Amino acid sequence: MAEVVLEKVNKQYDNGFHAVHDLDLDIADGEFLVLVGPSGCGKTTALRMVAGLEDITTGTLRIGGRVVNTLSSRDRDIAMVFQSYALYPHMTVADNIGYGLKLRRMDKSDIDKRVRKAADMLELGPLLDRKPKELSGGQRQRVAMGRAIVREPQVFLMDEPLSNLDAKLRVQMRAEIAQIQRELKTTTLYVTHDQTEAMTMGDRIALMKAGVLQQVGVPQQLYDHPNNIFVAGFIGSPPMNLATARLNRAGQGFELSLGSAVLSLPDTVLAERPALAAYAGREVAVGIRAEDMEDAALARDSSAQGRLRAKVTLTEALGSEIVAHFAIDAPKVVTSDTKELEKDAHVDGLLAAHQAINTFVASFAPRSRVRPGDEIEIVVDRERLHFFDPVTGVAVRS
Amino acid sequence: MASIGNQAGPQMIGAVGEGPPTEVVRLGTAKGNWFTRVGWSHLVGILALAFSLFPIVFVVSAALNPVGTLSSSSLIPSNVGFDNFGSILSGSFPRWFLNSLIIGVLSAALSMFISACAAYAFSRFRFVGRRPGLLGILLIQLFPQFLAIVALYLIFTEVTQLWPAIGLNSIWGLLLLYLGGALGVNTWLMKGFFDTIPRDLDESAKVDGATHAQIFFGIILPLVRPILAVTGLLGFIGAVNEFLIASVFLTDDSVKTAAVGLYGLLADEQAKNARFGLFAAGAVILAIPTVALFQFLQRYIVGGLTAGAVKG
Repeated sequence: MAEVVLEKVNKQYDNGFHAVHDLDLDIADGEFLVLVGPSGCGKTTALRMVAGLEDITTGTLRIGGRVVNTLSSRDRDIAMVFQSYALYPHMTVADNIGYGLKLRRMDKSDIDKRVRKAADMLELGPLLDRKPKELSGGQRQRVAMGRAIVREPQVFLMDEPLSNLDAKLRVQMRAEIAQIQRELKTTTLYVTHDQTEAMTMGDRIALMKAGVLQQVGVPQQLYDHPNNIFVAGFIGSPPMNLATARLNRAGQGFELSLGSAVLSLPDTVLAERPALAAYAGREVAVGIRAEDMEDAALARDSSAQGRLRAKVTLTEALGSEIVAHFAIDAPKVVTSDTKELEKDAHVDGLLAAHQAINTFVASFAPRSRVRPGDEIEIVVDRERLHFFDPVTGVAVRS
Repeated sequence: MASIGNQAGPQMIGAVGEGPPTEVVRLGTAKGNWFTRVGWSHLVGILALAFSLFPIVFVVSAALNPVGTLSSSSLIPSNVGFDNFGSILSGSFPRWFLNSLIIGVLSAALSMFISACAAYAFSRFRFVGRRPGLLGILLIQLFPQFLAIVALYLIFTEVTQLWPAIGLNSIWGLLLLYLGGALGVNTWLMKGFFDTIPRDLDESAKVDGATHAQIFFGIILPLVRPILAVTGLLGFIGAVNEFLIASVFLTDDSVKTAAVGLYGLLADEQAKNARFGLFAAGAVILAIPTVALFQFLQRYIVGGLTAGAVKG
């Protein structure tokens, strides 16, 4: 068991590409930290540096208090689960799991014992004599996990281990991996591009963009208090709705012109974010989570204070909720963050026709009777609005 | 629901009964008679078979012909006996045969190993001179080894004076030469195959605690068996069949390879006719190890082709 500390770690390749910038990360002993971000953000490079598969250009890496920058992978006492599982095709499941122990010249009967224990934990007992090609995707994934846990290393490193599984299996393995980690209490660094995995599995999440760490914190903190538009847009499904609004003074308080709608802001909003007053008379980027909007027909609050009026373009009834898509006349927020998010979602080009229209997605209670084409009123929970600088994308707080 | 099902039944039966009897259409049959459809391919096959079997049958029949002269040999021998085999095995041939086997086995095994090491380095490591090295090997390989025979001869004359054991007139000197000659093709062939083994496997083994040597012997080599079999087989056949350089290098009767020795039997114009039976018998014996090796390695070669990509 050990903590992993990265101090100002940089990775620059020979061709000049700077993959990781000054990464500071402190993974506590026994913690499950999820490193998440869009593809190409440097998260896998960071993991590979911890694994010793990639050289660290500058910075310090400590595992269990020991600087391991120049130590080879085999001496770092780590185990890694690869995206492709990387099972040895010519070995049986038992040999695959026991290979690391064999290399450490462990006694054959001890190897047997530990392989069996790991196999029981993962329900691989009956498959020990099979070759990897005779296994299903989920079973292969378990063998890869078995190979990691049998070594009883100080640190688990996992590189998108679930991305090759189908959706149902992924949900199941997600829970199993989290469960195993809790049982073994082994420090874990888990890389994924799937924000759901990050939210559900990690003790904490570290979110990266283009080689730069954006925010580290417990999942709910990233969800409720994103540092910037990128974090806001990446964490959460559906992603946070963003629009450019204008903040105006109205008597003692402030109000927000969101397209044709005007939302008066409660005093608590400003009390929590003193810096917001500086945006008076200027544009500000406003973020609204889908669940912070409700069909006005269902709302008890009859005041017209925080309402948007819009035409529903699409509804998705999920049983537990109704997801309504509607166009809003406030302009889109365009910053480097939103471009990066669009790139990740592959929407550029694909949805080019819709780009001019800003579409909001709201989650209504299932009692809502909205249909596509309906003109409806939407109540916005003004206490839970998010504010960002429209140019830098940084959250407006204190 | 049930009533609808009951109604549908009789109606359908009625429909079949009322309709005119339809012509039986057999799907999957092509136009034309047997020959235009299938027969021509048999003909091509038989011709190809005859073409390739003719020399083999001729040599085997010459070897079994007890008269043993070129002029008396025919495709189907009038008389069958093993006299030729008896007399060739009592002469220098067993020694030549052994020399051929030693050179063939060692050059195949060693060149396989050296090439595998080189291919592993070229496939897995990034180092200064990697590209020039690969290109250099390819370029040198484009020229036949025979072009260099004068230079080789001069070099080995020097070597003979310093270390006679690996110089001219020694199978070890020839072995050395063959090893260098096979390196190029084999390295390229293997490098291509090594590249198809996912690097994740190396890295996984590395994290598991394996050294480069353990990765090479424990993970990579077992996975590239098919290409090892191919290069080993090619190396063996090449070394056993090589004649030109061997004939220049090996002149003493005791160090000749079978190819050089057998040719020597026919070198004399007068003896050419008389000793043809012996020559043929030697050739048949020499073919045995090659065929045996092919049979043995076939499993790996075919296995390698059908196993396809190794998904990790």
